[in-house]
Amino acid sequence: MNQFTRRKFLQTSAAVAGASAFGTAAVLGQAKPKVVVIGGGAGGVTAAKYIARDSKGAIDVTLVEPLKRYQTCFHSNLYLGGFRSYDSITHGYEKVTSAYGVKMNHQWAKAIDRDKKEVVLADGSRLSYDRLVIAPGIALKYDSVPGWGKEHEVAMPHAWQPGEQTQILKKRLDEVPDGGLIVMIAPPNPYRCPPGPYERVSMMAHALKKAGKNKSKIIVVDPKENFSKQGLFQEGWEKYYKGMVEWIGPKVHDGLKSVDPKTNTVVTGFETYKAALVNVIPAQTAGTIALDAKLANASGFCQIDPTNMRSAVDPNIYVLGDACIAGDMPKSAFSANSQAKVAALMIRGELTKSDTFPARYANTCWSLIETDDTVKVGGRYEAKDGKIAAVETFISKTGESAELRKATQVENMGWYSAISADMFA
Amino acid sequence: MNETGAPAEPSKDRATRGSSRWRFGLCVATVLFAPQAYADNKALGQYLASECTACHQLSGASTGIPPIIGWPKDQFVAVVKSYRAKERDNEVMQTIAARLTDEEIAALAAYFEGEGKK
Repeated sequence: MNQFTRRKFLQTSAAVAGASAFGTAAVLGQAKPKVVVIGGGAGGVTAAKYIARDSKGAIDVTLVEPLKRYQTCFHSNLYLGGFRSYDSITHGYEKVTSAYGVKMNHQWAKAIDRDKKEVVLADGSRLSYDRLVIAPGIALKYDSVPGWGKEHEVAMPHAWQPGEQTQILKKRLDEVPDGGLIVMIAPPNPYRCPPGPYERVSMMAHALKKAGKNKSKIIVVDPKENFSKQGLFQEGWEKYYKGMVEWIGPKVHDGLKSVDPKTNTVVTGFETYKAALVNVIPAQTAGTIALDAKLANASGFCQIDPTNMRSAVDPNIYVLGDACIAGDMPKSAFSANSQAKVAALMIRGELTKSDTFPARYANTCWSLIETDDTVKVGGRYEAKDGKIAAVETFISKTGESAELRKATQVENMGWYSAISADMFA
Repeated sequence: MNETGAPAEPSKDRATRGSSRWRFGLCVATVLFAPQAYADNKALGQYLASECTACHQLSGASTGIPPIIGWPKDQFVAVVKSYRAKERDNEVMQTIAARLTDEEIAALAAYFEGEGKK
């Protein structure tokens, strides 16, 4: 044993692992099993990386994502508030390829041929798969806000999908004059990032205040009676942005009647607003490819088996993140990342007979309200009664100490670094 | 290294982490004589650890959330159990730890100790 150095041990282990991987493929008597992943966000890239990393080359993994540089939607509100640079929310896929062997295909996935088990790409070429993971995020329902459509997304930006839209909204926010009105049209449930619109309101108010535009105001026209972390946000708005933020629910505004992108006008049953900036966050569905492949139900989202993230419609397909119906889990990057690890485990189990364990899920959503004042909501989840059910949840409390809120913001920034590394490094 | 104590905070000294020949010999013996159990626990540890790495970086980088790789197993087990008992304050950690069995905590401790040696 004295001669058995650590290096030697590692070499031996590697040789055994290599033989084992080779043996698995040989047992299956065919080429390496193929997994194609559609969508390079929090769900997709995590699934691709974990399947490739943990199968040690025994599974061929291709990630289909049109963008070479990806901006995260999470923490894009912090960019609006001036707490983050655009670069700091931008990531690339180089390491996922170089370190784990994931093959990148930077094209738009146009369709899924479920009968042939092939993905059709924008250039007409096809990728065959043994298992397909789709994490296409959301599609916006452009017809859900009267008067607004895709052609108006520059005049009235949504910034609910990352990238150029985020920059447009930031530019428009910075151009709002002192005394100018911002109207946010908040989305109906279910939608990506439940506390997101209200963190955005906080970050917009912070930016206005910091620029000395204290006469400006933000009105949130919400179709919902209540919203995520409502007490915490409203406490923060009162404390930091007194008189600057007004949230109105359906009982007050009596319905959003129409918007006019040419004149920046918003008409509700209660009042007509002439704004300097209108941020329209419309209703949402699963990404278009999921709808086209008939993987979604009437709700517009995809039902899954909560024990493994497999599509309820097609046993060869797994659906992750915002596109799926995840029961009590919110549509968040944290949730998608958590679901991806369950799917990766189960897919490896199916394709290489590796060990599987009961699915467990977790989520935490942090929201920044003002400098050093962050709140969080989260929980753990398990498959129960046919859905992903919350087992234990927590939420920050009103009236918490400044010290705790500051520590929560440090945790928020730490989480961003960690999940980014978990996805891209 | 303190082999028996359960310090409240992680050691900052990576050079001292689990490097004794005695410990290594034991590890090899475990592999040689109980390969099945080792393989199962390793796979379990790896899966459970994937829940941790959403917040704790495998690189050991610390940017607001403490790194957990390379901790001595005893220390890792003691800290996670104190979150499970809600003796430590962070709600995220309390919630995650609440569903971990002793066996799972041990599997995690072994996994993250091993990651510190890479």
